[in-house]
Amino acid sequence: MIQQAAYRRRWRPTRYGLAAMIGAAIFVVLVLSSVASLAIGPVPLRATLFGLPGIGLVTAATFFVLRALHDHEPKVRVRDATRAVVLFVVGIFLWLAVLDVYTFTQEAGPGVATASAIACMPTTAIGLLVIRRFDRNEKEPWRLVLVAALWGAIVSTSLVVWAESVWDLVFTATLVPGPAADTSAAYSAGIFEELAKGTAVVLLYLVMRDEIDDVVDGIVYGAAVGLGFNFMESVAYMTHQYAILAPVGLGPAGAAGQWYFRQVVGLFFGHATFTALIGAGIGIARQMPLLSQRLLVTASGFLAAIAAHFAWDAWQAFVLVGSSSTQLLVANARYVMVIGPFAAAVLLLLVMGQHVEGRALRRHLGVEAASGLGAVLPNEVAVLMSPWQRFLARLAALGRGGPGAYFRLARLQRAQLHLAMEQWHRERREIDQPLAAEDALRGHVLELRG
Amino acid sequence: MVETHDALRPLYRIMLALGLVSVVILALGFALLLRFAPPGQHSGYRAHISGVYAYDPATGSITGSAMTRFHRDQPFAASVDWKTLPASMLVSARWTDSLDDEVGATQPTPVPAGRLASQDALVPVRASPAFHANLPGRYTLTVVRYAGGQPVELLAMARVTVLRDP
Repeated sequence: MIQQAAYRRRWRPTRYGLAAMIGAAIFVVLVLSSVASLAIGPVPLRATLFGLPGIGLVTAATFFVLRALHDHEPKVRVRDATRAVVLFVVGIFLWLAVLDVYTFTQEAGPGVATASAIACMPTTAIGLLVIRRFDRNEKEPWRLVLVAALWGAIVSTSLVVWAESVWDLVFTATLVPGPAADTSAAYSAGIFEELAKGTAVVLLYLVMRDEIDDVVDGIVYGAAVGLGFNFMESVAYMTHQYAILAPVGLGPAGAAGQWYFRQVVGLFFGHATFTALIGAGIGIARQMPLLSQRLLVTASGFLAAIAAHFAWDAWQAFVLVGSSSTQLLVANARYVMVIGPFAAAVLLLLVMGQHVEGRALRRHLGVEAASGLGAVLPNEVAVLMSPWQRFLARLAALGRGGPGAYFRLARLQRAQLHLAMEQWHRERREIDQPLAAEDALRGHVLELRG
Repeated sequence: MVETHDALRPLYRIMLALGLVSVVILALGFALLLRFAPPGQHSGYRAHISGVYAYDPATGSITGSAMTRFHRDQPFAASVDWKTLPASMLVSARWTDSLDDEVGATQPTPVPAGRLASQDALVPVRASPAFHANLPGRYTLTVVRYAGGQPVELLAMARVTVLRDP
C-alpha cells in the first residue's frame, strides 16, 4: 500500500537482499542434493515423472520473470515478479516433496507411507491449531503458518539429508561405535537440523517482518516449522520400522510405536520445542534496538535449539529403550526430563511475551479510544483484550445478524488489533511504513465499522 | 520508548542465559566425546576384513565367495584376518542390525587378537530365536581396539544388506 520507509536505516534495505542471498544459497544446495539423489541415491527414474509438475511450475515462473523484465509499467512488473516468486517456490516445494517421498518412504512401499502420513496428519494439525492459539491477540495467518510447516517438512528435511550423510562419513563412521559415535551423531542432528529449520524462521523474518511482531509470533512460526519437520520424520521412521519388522509380523506394531512417541509424546516435546527456541530468539531480536543485541539474541536462540536437540539425541545413547515396562516408562519419562526444561523455557518466554504484548496493546487501544477518531471505542478496549470476550461479542453478532455479521466483526476486531500493533511498533521505531500507513489502517477500520 | 525496551529486557536476558547454558551443554558433550574417543589413540593398525560369507552354524564354517547381500534365512559370518594385528592387542568385533541392536560378536569381549588368530575366529550373525531368521536391512560389522577397559579405536568396518524377501 505505502511502501517507503518511515525511519530509514542503513541496514533495512538489505533485509530483502539478505533473504535473496540465503534463498539462492539454499537453492544451490537443493539442486546439488537433487542431482546427488538422482545420480547415486535411491530415487528411481519414475520420480522424475512425478516431479514434472514441479518443473512446469518453475518454467511458468521463468515466463513471468521474463515478462516482468519486459514490462515497463511498475505495477505490472511487481505483479509478474510476485507471481514468478510464488510459482517458483511452489514448484521447488513440489519437486522436493517428490524426492522426500522416495528418499524417506520407499522402504515399505507407497501404501505404508500413505497410511503413515494419514496417521500423522490429525496430530500435526492439532499441534498447528494449538500453537496458533498461543497468539492470543493477533493470530498468524494460516497461509504463513502452513508455509512454515511445509518448509519444515519438505525443505528442511531435504537440506539435512546430505549434510548428515557427509558428517557421518567424515566423523561418526571413523569413531568407535557406542557413546562416542552417538555423541557425534547427536552433534550432527542438532547442528544441521536446527540450522535447516531455523533458516525458515530467519527467511520469514526477513521477508515478512510485519507478520513477526514479537517473541510470541517467533515461537508460533518456529514451532510450526518444527511440527512440519516432525511430520516428515515421523513418516520416515514409521515406514523404516515397518519395513524391518514386517517380515516377522511386527510391522504395524513397530510403526505404531514410532507414531506414539513422535506424534503423541513428542509432538510438542521435540522438534516443535527446538525450533520454537529459534523463533523466540528471532522474535526478541525483532524488538531489540541495537544490531549487536539482535545478533546476540538470535545466536542464543539457535544455540539453545542446537543444545536441546543435541541433549535429546545424546541422552538416547545412554538410556536403552526396550520392551520391558520399566524401559517403556523411562522412554516416556525422558521426554519430560530432557526436553521438559527447554519446553518450560519456551512457555516462560511465551507467557512473558504475551504479557508484554498485552500491556502494550491495551495502552495503544486506550490511546486510540481516547483520541475520539472512532476506530476504537472506549467500551471496546476490554473486549478486544480478551480472546474469550471477542468470541462472545462475535457470537452475539451471529445471533443478531447471522454468519455475515460474525465474520464482519471478526475482520473489524482483527483490524483494530492490527492498528494497535502498528502503533506499538511505531512507538519503538520498528516499522518501515510512514505515518500515512497508520492513517490508512485507521481508515480501513472505519470502513469495516461501516 | 525507554519503558518499552525495559519491558523487553527480562526476555532478552532469559534468552542470553539460555544461550550460555547451551554453550555449557555443548561443551559437556564435547568432553563426553573426548572421554569415549580419547585423542592420541591411533595405533596405526588396520584390521583386514577378508569378506562376509554364507555360514553354516552346524559346522561353524563359511562357504562360497564373499557377498554383500544375503537372504533373511541365509546365515552369514565375517572373516577377519586377525594375524594382521599384534597378538597382544585387545580387540572385539560385533555385528549390529538396522535397529542398532547387537546381533553377534566375538566372545569374550575384549580378547587378544592372537587368540582369535589361532582359532581363525569368524564373526557370525545370530538370528533372534523369536524370529527364526535375520531381520531385513543393513548390518554393520565393526572391529575395535580396547585400552583401559574401553573401546578406543575403530580398526575396520564392513556393511552388508539383508534383503526383505526370504
